[in-house]
Amino acid sequence: MTHTDFAVPPGFEALVPFARWALPTADQRTRARREASGAELRAVYEGVLPHLEAILDECDRFALGELPESHQGIFNIALSMAEIAPHVEFYRDQPLVPYAFEEARFIAVHGAYETWRALPPNGPR
Amino acid sequence: MATQSIDVDRSPGRWARKYPHLGQGPVSTLPYIDPAFFEKEKARIFKKQWIYVALEREVPEIGSYKVRRLDAADTSVIIIRGKDGAIRAFHNACSHRGNTVITETGQETYGRNRAGVVTCRFHGWVYNAQGQLVNVPGEERFYSCFDKAENGLTPVHCDTWAGFIFVNVDPGPVQPLREFLGGYADHFGEFDYDACDYGFTYHTTLNCNWKVALDAFAEAYHVDTIHAGSFPNVFKPEIEDVELFGPHRTCSVRLQVENLPSTPIGDLANARSRSSLAAQSGASSLPPTLNPRGDDDWAFELSVLFPSVLVHVSEGIWFTHQFWPVAHDKTLWEGKYYLKKPTTYSELWGFERAMVLQRNAWLEDTATMEDTYRAMLSGAKTVQHLQDEEILIRHNCVVVEEMVNS
Repeated sequence: MTHTDFAVPPGFEALVPFARWALPTADQRTRARREASGAELRAVYEGVLPHLEAILDECDRFALGELPESHQGIFNIALSMAEIAPHVEFYRDQPLVPYAFEEARFIAVHGAYETWRALPPNGPR
Repeated sequence: MATQSIDVDRSPGRWARKYPHLGQGPVSTLPYIDPAFFEKEKARIFKKQWIYVALEREVPEIGSYKVRRLDAADTSVIIIRGKDGAIRAFHNACSHRGNTVITETGQETYGRNRAGVVTCRFHGWVYNAQGQLVNVPGEERFYSCFDKAENGLTPVHCDTWAGFIFVNVDPGPVQPLREFLGGYADHFGEFDYDACDYGFTYHTTLNCNWKVALDAFAEAYHVDTIHAGSFPNVFKPEIEDVELFGPHRTCSVRLQVENLPSTPIGDLANARSRSSLAAQSGASSLPPTLNPRGDDDWAFELSVLFPSVLVHVSEGIWFTHQFWPVAHDKTLWEGKYYLKKPTTYSELWGFERAMVLQRNAWLEDTATMEDTYRAMLSGAKTVQHLQDEEILIRHNCVVVEEMVNS
C-alpha cells in the first residue's frame, strides 16, 4: 500500500506515514511488532501518541462494527499502538517480550479476525 | 474503604497453621515425571472426576453443539442443547464403526443443526440431541441383532453450575456435581460470569507435565521476577484469604498500590475501559464472599477448580487457565480472558491493550515450564521445597497423591 492509497479522515493526515501499521488483525500486528527494530517501534510510538485520543474520539462516533473504511486505517494504527506500547513503555524498546516463551508458539484463536468488526473473539460463530 | 487488618494473620507460617494436615516437608518430584503415575492420574482423576468443558453460552440455541477433546480421558465429548433446552453430553463415537460422529477441527469444535440432530459423515447415521439413533441409511440390510433403539450415542454425566458445563466420563454412578464443588460453589457461585461475555482464547502445547504448568500459575511468589517486564512490582508476592474446599482451593492476589505503573498508553486504556488487572476498579459488584473486607489492594481471586483449571475473578474481568494433559510430558494450555462486551471503539481499543499486556504476562509465565520439567527429568533434584505462600501447590500434591493411591 503506498501512502497515496491510504485513506484517513480529514485532520488525520499526520498518520499517513504510519500506513504500514494499519493492520486489521491481531496476528498481523504481533508479527509486524516482532519483525520491527526497537528504533522503529519507538518512532511509531512517539509519532502516533499525540494523535491517539483524537483517533479514539473520532472512531467513537460510529457504532461498534460499523466503522467505515475511511476510519479503519487510523483505528488499526491505534490497535498497533496497543501492541507496540509495552515494548516502549516497559521493555526498553526490545521488539520481543523479554524472558518469554517462544512467541510464535502462542496461538490467538481470534488472531485472523478483523478487530474493528468487534465480533466475539472466542466461542461459536 | 479503609481496612482494619489487625485481625488478619500476615506472619510467616500462617497457612501451615491454618492447614496443619498438609505438612511442611519437601514434596516429591516423582509424580511430575513418572509416566506410570500419569496413567494412574488418567484412570483415577481424569476419567472419574467432573471436568469443566464449556460455558452454557457456547451452546446457546437448540441444536447448538460443542465438541471438546479430552486427551487425558482418551475421548472427545459432544455437548449439545436439545429441543427441550436441556444440555447433554456424549462420547463422540458412532455406534456403527466407531468413527467420530462430528468431525473435529481442533480441541474445540462448534456447530449448530437447527433440527437438533448430528450426522456421521461416514455413512450418514443420524442421532438426535438426546443421543438416540434416529436414522440408519440401508437399515434393512442390518441383521436382526441390530436395533437402533439400543445403539444411541454413549452418554457421559453432564451438569451445570454458574453457567459452567461439566462432564464426568465415569461409566458408573458419580458424586453429584454440586457435592463435588462443595464450598467452592458457595464461594464463587454468586459472581456474574455471564456479564463478562466477550472472551479471548490463547493456547499452546507445552512439553511438560500438566502439574508443572499448573503450579507455575498457582502462586504470587514469582511476580517480582517473572513479571518484572509486564507487571513490575504490581502484585504482592504473598497471597491472602487462602481457603481449601475438598480438592479445590482459592486465595486472593494483592496489588502493590504504590507501584501501579502510570504510562501514557496504560493510563489511556484504563481511563476508557475496565479491562486490566493492574488497576484499581471503582465501585464493587463482587459478591460478599470475594474481597470480604473491601480491601483497596485486592486485585483478583486466584483459585484452582480441581483437577486442572485455574479460575480467576476480578471486577468486571474473569479468566481461566486450563491444562489439558495430552501425555505425561505434554500439556495443552488454554488461557481465556473474559470482559464485558465493549460498546465503543475506545473500549475495544482499551481491551486490545489489556489483552496484549496480559498475553505478554502469560508468555512470561510459560517461559519456565518446559525448562523446569526438563531439569526435573535429570533426577538431580528429587524434591521441591515449598514456602508457606506456595500452599496451593502443596495442597495439589496432597490431593493428587490421595486420589491416585485411592
